[in-house]
Amino acid sequence: MQALTWHGEKDVRISEVPRPEIVEPTDAIVEITATAICGSDLHLYNDRMPGMREGDVLGHEPMGEVIEVGDEVESLEPGDRVVVPFTISCGSCWFCEEDLYSLCDNSNPNAEMARKMMGQSPAGLFGYSHLLGGYAGGQAEYLRVPYADVGPIKIESDIPDEQVLFLSDIFPTGYMAAENADIEPEDTVAVWGCGPVGQFAIQSAWMLGANEVVAIDRVPERLEMASQHGDATTINYEHADVYDRLMELTGGRGPDRCIDAVGTEAHGTGLDGISDRVKEGAKLQDDRPYVLREAIKCCRKGGTLSVPGVYLGRANIPFGPLMNKALTVKTGQTHMQRYLDPLLGKIEEGEIDPSFIISHQVGLEDGPEMYQTFNDKEDDCIKVVMTP
Amino acid sequence: MSEYSFDSAADEVSNSMHPGADANGSRWRRAGSVALGGALVAFGLRRRSLGGTAIALVGGFLTYRSLSGYLTDAGGTEPVERSITIGESPDELSDLARDPETLERIVGHFAEVSEIDDDRSRWSAGGPLARELSWEMRIAVDEPGERLRWETVADDSSGALFDSWSLSFDEAPGDRGTEVTLEVRFDPPGGTAGSAAVERLDVVPESLIGTALDRFKSLAETGQIPTTENRPSERGRGDFL
Repeated sequence: MQALTWHGEKDVRISEVPRPEIVEPTDAIVEITATAICGSDLHLYNDRMPGMREGDVLGHEPMGEVIEVGDEVESLEPGDRVVVPFTISCGSCWFCEEDLYSLCDNSNPNAEMARKMMGQSPAGLFGYSHLLGGYAGGQAEYLRVPYADVGPIKIESDIPDEQVLFLSDIFPTGYMAAENADIEPEDTVAVWGCGPVGQFAIQSAWMLGANEVVAIDRVPERLEMASQHGDATTINYEHADVYDRLMELTGGRGPDRCIDAVGTEAHGTGLDGISDRVKEGAKLQDDRPYVLREAIKCCRKGGTLSVPGVYLGRANIPFGPLMNKALTVKTGQTHMQRYLDPLLGKIEEGEIDPSFIISHQVGLEDGPEMYQTFNDKEDDCIKVVMTP
Repeated sequence: MSEYSFDSAADEVSNSMHPGADANGSRWRRAGSVALGGALVAFGLRRRSLGGTAIALVGGFLTYRSLSGYLTDAGGTEPVERSITIGESPDELSDLARDPETLERIVGHFAEVSEIDDDRSRWSAGGPLARELSWEMRIAVDEPGERLRWETVADDSSGALFDSWSLSFDEAPGDRGTEVTLEVRFDPPGGTAGSAAVERLDVVPESLIGTALDRFKSLAETGQIPTTENRPSERGRGDFL
């Protein structure tokens, strides 16, 4: 079958790879009908995530049709249309039972490796390094889905792929980011990063009752989208000082809730931004936590910092201000299965149409070129959907 | 793999794990081995190969072992112990562990086990860890819901990786199930094959038993051990690590 494979920094190829097969009786095989490139795939593209091997199949935002199921699969059968969430969860361990699906104890076959790095291993993920499982990804014609009764959500209406595809990751991720921010009715919510997760965090902040949403980015078309679709006040950080502008908007209090939807590869400005790049170059840190530092500085005392952005290792952040300002920090890969049903409900009831985010729709074979376009923010690229 | 083979990494590790009596020297060696361990983790994970992964595991183990002060002149004879919490009762888990088929599955990443009779089994190590090692183990302690202990039978086998393999079961607080502790005494009965095996294994026993516990937990909680067997990639199908 055809699949997008990883070969090192800025080297994604379309390759012929073997078709996946049922390995365990709880597996399903899904024929992919739509699959997206995620902002966190760019961390792989830029070779920042350890544990990738040449030839690995990429992708963790897929949907399609079930074509085969193992003997023990009860909730799915061939012909079912499903969206597959990016976290792989067993459904049986303590964490899954507590609805903390992205912390599943049993889905990472390389848990020992992850434990060395992090102390304990989080869940396995599709197409996201051997450290997090080594599972083949969904930017391919077919995908093996382990624990098929736990992950995929069945789409029983004829709603088009484009509207439900983002249940696989970025819509729930933006939603959990807003939920983690503990928004109250009078709150101003600041969202750093207006990529797809930022856009859904903005929309979700309104759903959860925000009083005002401020969006921060430097890419004009993203800010435009945040303003038009997300009804957000925008700050272009290349043209304004973010701290000054946020204080101006909040009467000097600072935003009550801050969401870092950027993560490890933040483009900082000024001396602080340069210092991040130097420390990263000297291997003194693994991440460029410019946004985290800025959010800590800007956040209202006693406020909340929600971090859906992906970080990889050691980041130099000012813990003193964080502690002295009594901020609450909430983080985590998305506990996907918790959000699938309620968010599908919102889409089906017309409360939101996630397809607004799509800027490019291409064939899988155009994937390598699209990785570059998306990475370089060229051609007004915000979200790429591919059809195998 | 180039000059950084599993073996050369192992050599560096065993040299730095046996400090002399001088406390100062020991501290420096420990600092050195932490640094080397960290470097090996970083280097190994960048390598993206079986060798690289092995180096990373070696590095991680070295770092852990140095930081935890687990430095002894006794080398391979110290028992290695790890715990995991499993969401089942002590009785269910000890029954499951007693089943020879379970043992076969949870040590499948480094050894093959076949049942001789209800109390005895034959183990043989495979893969990169050792060649042609085969030994017999016998259940020496069998207290359902509390502990299970296998001991190596001294016979004419070609060498054993360990002297004993013990599991104990303690109730965890709340609804968390059971704290299961695995203690393995890497102390072969003798012979060059056995010693050579321990020397090679010396660098990764923590990882080896950590993975065995992971596999036991997954089997108990989900009925399966997670696998990426048959995973498609441009390298083909079904490679590990």
